[in-house]
Amino acid sequence: MANVSIDNVAKFYGSHKVIHGIDIDIADGEFVTLVGPSGCGKSTLLRMIAGLEEISDGDIRIGDRVVNDVPPKERDIAMVFQNYALYPHMTVAQNMGFALKLKGESRATIDARVREAAAILALEPYLDRLPKQLSGGQRQRVAMGRAIVRSPQVFLFDEPLSNLDAKLRVQMRAEIKDLHRRLGTTTVYVTHDQIEAMTMADRIVVMKGGVVEQIGRPLELYDRPANLFVATFIGSPAMNLLTGRAGQGGFVTGDGVVLPLPATAAAGATTYGIRPEHLTLDETGFRAEVVVIEPTGAETQVLARCGGQTLVAVLRERVELNPGDIIGLKPDLSAVHLFGEDGRRL
Amino acid sequence: MSDLALFSRKPTMSVNGYRVVQSISVFVIALVVISPLFMLFIASLKDDRFQILADMGSFRAFWVDNPTLSNFREVGNFAGELAFGRYLGNSLFILGSTVSLGLVINSMAGFILAWGSLPGRAVILSLIIALYVIPQESIIMPLLIIVSRAGLSDTFTAQILPFVASPLYTFLFYQFFAQLPKELYEAASIDGASIFRTWWSIFMPLSLPALATVSILMGIETWNQYLWPILITQTDYARPISVAIATFFGQDSIYWDRAMAASVLMMIPILVFYLAFQRWFISSFVGSAVKG
Repeated sequence: MANVSIDNVAKFYGSHKVIHGIDIDIADGEFVTLVGPSGCGKSTLLRMIAGLEEISDGDIRIGDRVVNDVPPKERDIAMVFQNYALYPHMTVAQNMGFALKLKGESRATIDARVREAAAILALEPYLDRLPKQLSGGQRQRVAMGRAIVRSPQVFLFDEPLSNLDAKLRVQMRAEIKDLHRRLGTTTVYVTHDQIEAMTMADRIVVMKGGVVEQIGRPLELYDRPANLFVATFIGSPAMNLLTGRAGQGGFVTGDGVVLPLPATAAAGATTYGIRPEHLTLDETGFRAEVVVIEPTGAETQVLARCGGQTLVAVLRERVELNPGDIIGLKPDLSAVHLFGEDGRRL
Repeated sequence: MSDLALFSRKPTMSVNGYRVVQSISVFVIALVVISPLFMLFIASLKDDRFQILADMGSFRAFWVDNPTLSNFREVGNFAGELAFGRYLGNSLFILGSTVSLGLVINSMAGFILAWGSLPGRAVILSLIIALYVIPQESIIMPLLIIVSRAGLSDTFTAQILPFVASPLYTFLFYQFFAQLPKELYEAASIDGASIFRTWWSIFMPLSLPALATVSILMGIETWNQYLWPILITQTDYARPISVAIATFFGQDSIYWDRAMAASVLMMIPILVFYLAFQRWFISSFVGSAVKG
């Protein structure tokens, strides 16, 4: 195991800069998720750690060693790809043991290590099968098994669950998390799914346009997003954002609706953010017109219109509402997020 | 019967009519293609060359009263004037060597062009494709001079080496490798495989369709070589059967009986090859759609 240090790393394709000088320190044994929309550079950064992309500027260290010019096979890393990248003509056991075979390990050692990894991943009954004879979840486990047998210093995952159905994704999420707990190997995990990032990571790196927007623990990002992008990206349903201007009597939206502000509110706020679960039904709250009601059993999502802006409230209680009803919504003042004109948190 | 059922009868009948026409057409075409081959085989079993000549143009060409293998015995020697056993062996050796070396060389080149970190890959690829349009006949004289100066006249090497690397087959391999997922190459490089090992252990086993296609196309091309071996071979040592058969013709008298037996000998390996790889044959011509 080792720490990974990304120091002012940049990536150019010709004159086009896709990664703009990123700094991330990943501690030994930590599980870090790189999350962001498509094209944000998260996969490119992971591939730079793996050695599959050249580093245009800056340094990447694995342990104490700068690995900028070290080929992938000498970086002591293992990578799990989105499409698994299993060798189709090799059995599960051969797939898992290929790296050890190339290292010149004895047949007995390879067999023992493959069986050990197969036991961890419950793959023992499938060792003689070809990848095409396995289900998506089993293939994913073989891909992880291939990584485990090598006992690498760092695990790299590139959107490994994207090809699985929703149910299997939840199951594999738990398996990967459990695997990390058992092995304690430093892990860098790329995903565009913020739920995956939130549930699995020790720390999340939110990226956009080749720039790190915020690094922090999952709930830290949820509770104190550094800017509007993180505020909307983390959390589902997304944070409600209402534009307007903070004044003496409260936050006045463009349509003249007055929202209450916390006592310590900073002046100059132009965006008022409130998460859907921090809105409650209350006659003393601001007025909004119900547009859509979506009961899910455990909670009820209400899409409402406030002036010209729409917002979502997630209500824990079951309510009898109809489209067109006028309701009062009261924000939890301790959970109000205010953002300035530049989109940063105030 | 409902109106709908009545309405649907007409197209069914026309489909049946179409099938009859189709079957007859296929039968006629097959007959046209197969009759010369059948005639050749029958003629090879007749021991009177004048009778063969007389039978041509009548239905007797498709019938033999007293079949004999004497023609095959006459030509199937390994030395002497009618060493067709040797010529056949030479052709098989040239075929085997050219195809096996060609598979290695062209697949390696295709692999590097598809996945290697070769500077100017795109330019090299376009040059290789451009080379394909140059007809072999146009470079045959300079090639002959090179081979003679290198002291390779009348050798197997001269018949194998110039045909091993081919722009067409390199491009076919390139195309096949390029469509395999990039992650396979990357997974292999992370697993610690060298580029040679990646080619040999990962990409080659996955390339059976490409290997079959190239083997078939290259095999036919090599087997049917005529102009180059006639220029380069002067003795029996490395003469292939395609050139040797030609010696039957152009003389004062043509030994049709022997020529027919020799032609059957030349045809048998390629026929066996075809029957063994029939499935690949069809897909190779559909897939590559090249080389008439």
